[in-house]
Amino acid sequence: MSYVTASGLTRQYDLSDPWFIRMITGRKANVLTAVNQVSFSIEKGTTYALVGESGSGKSTIAKMLAGVLAPSQGSVQIDGHDFNNPRLDNANKKMLRQRVQMVFQSPYASLNPRWKIGDILLEPINAFNLIEDKATRQKRVIELLEQVGMSAHDQTKYPHEFSGGQRQRISIARALACHPELIICDEPTSALDVSVQAQVLNLLKDLQQENGLTYLFISHDLAVISTMANKIGVLKDGELVEEGETSGLLANPQHAYTKMLLAAAPDIGAYIS
Amino acid sequence: MRRFLQSDLFYSFRYSPVAIVSFVIIVFIILTAIFADLIAPNNPFDPASLNLMNGFTPPMQANDFTGETFLMGTDDQGRDLFSTILYGLRISLFVGVMAVMLAMLLGVMLGLVAGFVGGWIDSFIMRFADIQMTFPSILVAMLIYGVAKGILPPEVRYEMSIAVLIMSIGLSEWVPFARTVRGSTLVEKEKEYIIAAKMVGLSRYQIMIRHILPNVLSPVLVIATITFALAIIAEATLSFLGVGVPTTKPSLGTLIRIGQDFLFSGEWWILFFPAVTLLAFALSINLFGDWLRDTLNPKLK
Repeated sequence: MSYVTASGLTRQYDLSDPWFIRMITGRKANVLTAVNQVSFSIEKGTTYALVGESGSGKSTIAKMLAGVLAPSQGSVQIDGHDFNNPRLDNANKKMLRQRVQMVFQSPYASLNPRWKIGDILLEPINAFNLIEDKATRQKRVIELLEQVGMSAHDQTKYPHEFSGGQRQRISIARALACHPELIICDEPTSALDVSVQAQVLNLLKDLQQENGLTYLFISHDLAVISTMANKIGVLKDGELVEEGETSGLLANPQHAYTKMLLAAAPDIGAYIS
Repeated sequence: MRRFLQSDLFYSFRYSPVAIVSFVIIVFIILTAIFADLIAPNNPFDPASLNLMNGFTPPMQANDFTGETFLMGTDDQGRDLFSTILYGLRISLFVGVMAVMLAMLLGVMLGLVAGFVGGWIDSFIMRFADIQMTFPSILVAMLIYGVAKGILPPEVRYEMSIAVLIMSIGLSEWVPFARTVRGSTLVEKEKEYIIAAKMVGLSRYQIMIRHILPNVLSPVLVIATITFALAIIAEATLSFLGVGVPTTKPSLGTLIRIGQDFLFSGEWWILFFPAVTLLAFALSINLFGDWLRDTLNPKLK
């Protein structure tokens, strides 16, 4: 059984006018389907990448997997549990929340600007009551910072004192703080310089090997995805149009849209040689 | 302290003469009001110390009957105007501060809930605010004042008059706070750090208080300063209209009302000195508030 199973995942947004206005003007209801019947599964310890252009529903899927957005239809099973199962009690919900964490796209909006780094990293630890003892908690914060290549004295600083790449490392440290098994990376490198991108990607890879993490990696950058993913799913207008192993899919794309995406990716190698 | 002296705020303060002058005036007036007992030559709230013979003494002139001289003259009851202004300022400041606190508490709370929860609660709070905004706030204050006076039993009316005044001004000034806080909350709640907080299972209440509140407070400070000036003027207006503090404990507005009765019979000083004090104070707060707004607004930098 796969670690993550999404089956028939659908999310619709009701954009129509209030019913009263509709009655007067005679306008039809207007429902936007952001994600339509998407099914995929992720094996434990592997990376599944979702690729697609802006507005293809990547982030909506990420939020549904993270349990902060309920699907309109379909379900997500993480290690056999479902966030939206009405029979899931609070203790199990908490346990499930602890297993899934997220690294966000914007390094500027993902850290509370009024909180010190130490407090940001302590938040998940305190929320799940992971460590009772105060000194041990402090030690854990330092350990987390060192794990992502930052130093212990950074914990007394505020987010605005760091660069984008450093903030993304802090974001990763926060995601690691409660020992998750699945990390959803929602375009974690798209706001970073190319050189910093490589560092963050290597960090994510190393952490995956050390801790046996499972990744859902969302990106529109095929070069990034080709280095990270074991399996790729291609999204177009909320639908999964093609899915396959990384090497196979990139070498031999079947769907017209995948071919177009590959052709559109800038290939700098051609200029060097 | 050293961090404050090195901050951008202090730097901009040092190079803004308007901010410095208005700040000095505000601090000066607040200090004189706080230490009124020590500065004032006599206590105008103590009827025993008043001498009716001293009534209508012009500033810096000896009284025809008693021979006493007063810095700013006296009013019709023989109260020393200078002392009365100091004591009156104290009442005006107290009412102003408390009214702003009430308005701020109410406005921030309602704005935060409206912005974060959304839906019909948001519509209800904001439509209520819209309706209140269509009335001049002094009218709302008078309405609340009238209703409160009507509800209270007659024997406590006198003691409660200042509390009622604070409530009526506070309840009429909460709308700008609520609107601003709601706007910033709508921006903040879509940011990714809120999703991160949801993902560790924090409740709505915890997210609102711990994450959103600290991030929406800086514009509140600016509105609070400007509302403070408005509240003091509102208090003066209410007292001027005769619905504010009792005449035995005159605030600036009460003094202006008394002075107005005698303006055309040549006793100009009873109106002039309280009015100038009110003007200087309200103007300084407004100028200081404007400077604060310009400095804290990153878009104007």
